[in-house]
Amino acid sequence: MRKFWIDTDTASDDAVAILMALRTTDVDVLGISVVAGNVPAEQGAKNACYTVELCGKKTPVYMGATHPLLREPEWAYFFHGEDGMGNMHYPDASLTLAKENAIIAFIEAVRAHAGDINLVTLGPLTNIALALRIAPDIAKKISMCYTMGGAAVTLGNVSPAAEYNIYIDPEAAKIVFHSGIPLLMVGWEHCMGDANFSANEMEMMRSFKTKYADFTLDCNATAIETNKNWLGEPGLALPDPVTMAVALDPSICTERGSYYVDVETVGEATRGMTVVDKLGVTNKPANIEVCWKIDIQAWKNLLYERIQ
Amino acid sequence: MSQKIIIDTDPGIDDTIAIMTALRSPELEVLGLTSIFGNATTEITTQNALRLVELEGHDSIPVARGCDVPLVMELESIASDVHGRDGMGNTNLPAPKGKTIDKSAVEFIIDTVHACPGEVTLIPVGPLTNIAVALKTDPSIANLIKKIVLMGGAVSVPGNISPVAEANIYHDAHAADIVMQASCPVVMVGLDVTEQVIMTPQFFDELFKAGNPATNLIRRILPVYQDYHDRFLGMGGSIHTHDPSAIAYLINPDLFTTKSVPVFVETERRCKGKTTADWHHQWEKRVETEVCLEVNSSGVLDLIKERLTK
Repeated sequence: MRKFWIDTDTASDDAVAILMALRTTDVDVLGISVVAGNVPAEQGAKNACYTVELCGKKTPVYMGATHPLLREPEWAYFFHGEDGMGNMHYPDASLTLAKENAIIAFIEAVRAHAGDINLVTLGPLTNIALALRIAPDIAKKISMCYTMGGAAVTLGNVSPAAEYNIYIDPEAAKIVFHSGIPLLMVGWEHCMGDANFSANEMEMMRSFKTKYADFTLDCNATAIETNKNWLGEPGLALPDPVTMAVALDPSICTERGSYYVDVETVGEATRGMTVVDKLGVTNKPANIEVCWKIDIQAWKNLLYERIQ
Repeated sequence: MSQKIIIDTDPGIDDTIAIMTALRSPELEVLGLTSIFGNATTEITTQNALRLVELEGHDSIPVARGCDVPLVMELESIASDVHGRDGMGNTNLPAPKGKTIDKSAVEFIIDTVHACPGEVTLIPVGPLTNIAVALKTDPSIANLIKKIVLMGGAVSVPGNISPVAEANIYHDAHAADIVMQASCPVVMVGLDVTEQVIMTPQFFDELFKAGNPATNLIRRILPVYQDYHDRFLGMGGSIHTHDPSAIAYLINPDLFTTKSVPVFVETERRCKGKTTADWHHQWEKRVETEVCLEVNSSGVLDLIKERLTK
């Protein structure tokens, strides 16, 4: 069994990503740590518990940081709905939060499975940065970290230069990117255009007539509308599930490379920008990998398979 | 009833005087020491913390290793000319016998506060990284900590590590700014008072007559610290009483005059680490810190001498 840990600010697309991992038979999700991001951590924890229960699992959900390291939180209700779940207002799950703190539980899981644990981050990197401060040894014990975040091509969503997860806690992202954790950044540019699900494709998903397909479409109701009205993007965009697909099947990322990548923390117009030195002009050693291209059909097929 | 305290420390010569004073004070129950970089690296200060609990048989007091680097900013090179390369006045003390506990400093702080809700006072006398990381990792502890009494900052006098900044705040200004916003009571024992409390060569002559393990160690490690104060400030063998003043505050707060005021910490550029008191509430709303502004300095000195010589 492959061991996974998921760090998430659980709103609609996070929930689908969690579902994909929980419904992968050879993956054991050791824990889910919640962080403030799309929604307050308390709401994110509720959404994560609901998702775990929907999948018939008992995966522990842990409460993590409620604020970014230095900055004030900025919620993304406009994109995910007031409950983060497309205003579906799902009932509270009977699954309750694990007692232990998310950051401490994560450190313990990494140490217990040193060299044999994949991390998938779907939100701001606050929890992971705090864990690295408390226990710097974990950087070398994580097999691979797949991060939904950043915009290697500098096409931002929350600002012209920055993707939301990195923008919300740029200091945390900078800490994680320079920590020595083997990390693949899957940026927001992979969740646009053809990578989105068209009306026809969504209709096909609905025809699966499974609770997982319905959940995928229902909880993203606000996201679909907002994507269309705000970004002029067609269909359903699923940033976190794209990253999860790459984590579950790394061959879905068909072009990647190692670069020196920094995070802008002081810029006036560029807070949270992921600055990728593709040409090596800084002469600084590579610290993370960047995903440049994904196999769109393979990503979609993986999702279809998991929600049937 | 004694006060339960955790001393978060970077020993450190004045840290040594503070810790030995605390360990010899029946009003204080030292639940543990947590280490931090500052006067030396965390690696070195952790070893020194272990040495200090062993010095007079307090081996059962746990020592937990703290963060190696500041919350966000880079670790600045540590000046060895104040406390010596070993943090103990270049005395190359033998290795401690004991080991740190398995838990990190941050975990120890979080777990101890939860175990004794409303009872634990934190005494950070170094950079505030461990405290800030603990508050960020588990925000619920803010309402469970009894009080934070920190040594650091300066609101009415110049800095020491820079023209405007005190060293502990400077070394992790972001962490300090987080602590200044904590919802638990925070008392700032800064240069405003610690530079008024001056330990003179005569004070040390009397102290060293005791000839106990604590005063003998202080005698050994002190010269580097005296030398720094003389070179930098021309104090001719006298020193400022920084960290021990925080312990004196805990034992007898009546020796200090305080005022509650929002305190802001500058985190950027030249004025990094400057602590500003917003006396007239002109900046954004912020919880108030109880800032020590005046001190009965002979009272503090007598108290420390009494504890270290008895």
